[in-house]
Amino acid sequence: MGIFSCSGGSMRTSASFGRFLGLAILLALCMPISVLAAEVSVKSDTLLRIFQRDTATKTDAAVTPFYEYLQVDVDTPDEPGLAFHLYGWGRWDMVDNDYYSDATAGELLYGYLEYTRKEAHFNARLGRQQVFEGVANEAIDGLRVSSDLGKYFSGSLYAGQPVGLSTENGRDGDIIYGGRLANHLASWYDLGVSYKKIENNSKEAEETAGVDLSAYFPAGISLYGFSSYNTSYKGWGEHSYELRFPVGPVSLRPYFQKFQYQDYFGTGANSASPFRALVNSDEELTVFGSDLTLPVGDSWTLVAKAKHYDYKILAGSSQYLAAQATWSSERHYQIGGEIGFMNGDDDQNKYTLVRLFTYCDQLPEGVPLGFVSGDLVYVSYNQDIYGEGRSLFASLGVGQKYLDDALELKLSGDYSADPYFDKDLRAMLTVSYHFDRNL
Amino acid sequence: MRTNILLGLGLCLLLLGLAACAALDSGMDLPFRHLSAEDLGESPKTCTNCHDARGEKLAFGDFVHNATWMQNHRMQAYQHEQVCAMCHQTSFCNDCHATRVELKPSDKNDTETYRQMPHRGDYLSRHRIDGRIDPTSCFRCHGNPKMSKTCAPCHG
Repeated sequence: MGIFSCSGGSMRTSASFGRFLGLAILLALCMPISVLAAEVSVKSDTLLRIFQRDTATKTDAAVTPFYEYLQVDVDTPDEPGLAFHLYGWGRWDMVDNDYYSDATAGELLYGYLEYTRKEAHFNARLGRQQVFEGVANEAIDGLRVSSDLGKYFSGSLYAGQPVGLSTENGRDGDIIYGGRLANHLASWYDLGVSYKKIENNSKEAEETAGVDLSAYFPAGISLYGFSSYNTSYKGWGEHSYELRFPVGPVSLRPYFQKFQYQDYFGTGANSASPFRALVNSDEELTVFGSDLTLPVGDSWTLVAKAKHYDYKILAGSSQYLAAQATWSSERHYQIGGEIGFMNGDDDQNKYTLVRLFTYCDQLPEGVPLGFVSGDLVYVSYNQDIYGEGRSLFASLGVGQKYLDDALELKLSGDYSADPYFDKDLRAMLTVSYHFDRNL
Repeated sequence: MRTNILLGLGLCLLLLGLAACAALDSGMDLPFRHLSAEDLGESPKTCTNCHDARGEKLAFGDFVHNATWMQNHRMQAYQHEQVCAMCHQTSFCNDCHATRVELKPSDKNDTETYRQMPHRGDYLSRHRIDGRIDPTSCFRCHGNPKMSKTCAPCHG
């Protein structure tokens, strides 16, 4: 259970993680004064949403969740050294209408003490953190260390408790560890091997090894790839490889992916309900396709996408085709549209999607707004879903900044008519505040 | 218990080895922070406005945040976290990549229509089809017990 995780309206803090965070904060307070002569940055996003839902006890009950996303950073910008980073969110339902199973909820997404040295890019992090290391894309409560290992190698190691398993039978005996070793030659290639092992209640939950690659060839050709091997099931779960290269003004990205369901979804106790059934399906999915991007002048970008899905067991195949056009100015002013066709193996897997969007932050003088945004998404299904053959989503937003851009207010309204909701109206007010101070 | 102690000792030795080798530099000297949009006078999304597409330190051309970047940055992020970190804090990535978030990215950032956020609009209906055709794309973000809480009300 995360430090902000709550149930039944009463905050409960994981004792072990509480001790861990306490230690991290204590270490932060022990930082030398010279390091504390740094910058503290606090960013707060407060969201108030309003919509209606049928609950177990009421029809069209008002649901008014109030979200707070808080980020705190203490560091010396542009300089290595000690730093502290924290980010989390909490939700409180202002009118508790039983829509949420818990009236309050939240999660500490990260909270760690970091030490960085300029030499060899040495980096050490202690606390809750997200680890992106080859086969690992995991949140851990623990330690991660990374460094260059000479001119041609770099390495990283991490160990701790996996946050993703904190809801499964407590945290006793939960452990995650792994690392990545990379061999690279700047501007030529980067080849990494990585390993990850997770135990739940001292029993093996997941063990994966992987290879990642980027290689750069003449004529602007780049090759990127990733393969993962499930050592528990002894099979390759995923192969994903792509090329990127220019042909005149056009950028092409052909790609190939292959997934073996048993090895990809077979992650033991770390697996989750919707995917567990796929482990025994013996299915293999092959995906290939390409993106094509063409800039036209300084403002227009045209994109074409084609994707083909093929299966070992399931009869038939599927294709997704899409075209996209975007006009953008030097700032964030954008107008764009996309049309896509999902041509599945049968009628229930076919749809047509149309999207139009805009974001304009260059409004005429006298308009008391910083930006206006709009979005329209229409989807037509070949086979009705709950008796409905289409989805329509429309969104309109406005915003303005105050106090030298430290404070921003955003207001948006959404309308949706789709198979799940007849006429759904939602509104959201966002108050963002950014505070910096030198210590 | 004995296995865990041995693993702990092994990790400590590896950490010491890593620390000992930390004095050896790779020579790929990227700055900790990139110049901001305020410093540059423009948003630094098109790396090739200032850098060669195939620079000595990095293939900058592959990091241009074009119209497909939101869907296709996975391979670059796998190997170059420090490049992402020059402009983005982890909180930026956590809108999509996190152990437990309740609001889908396009709801939390409702007005940022230019970001091509995944699951825009009525994805509840569309995920029935996308999930049948390619469940591996769902698994990457919803694959562990905590993240799959989003799926639990219907899928159990």
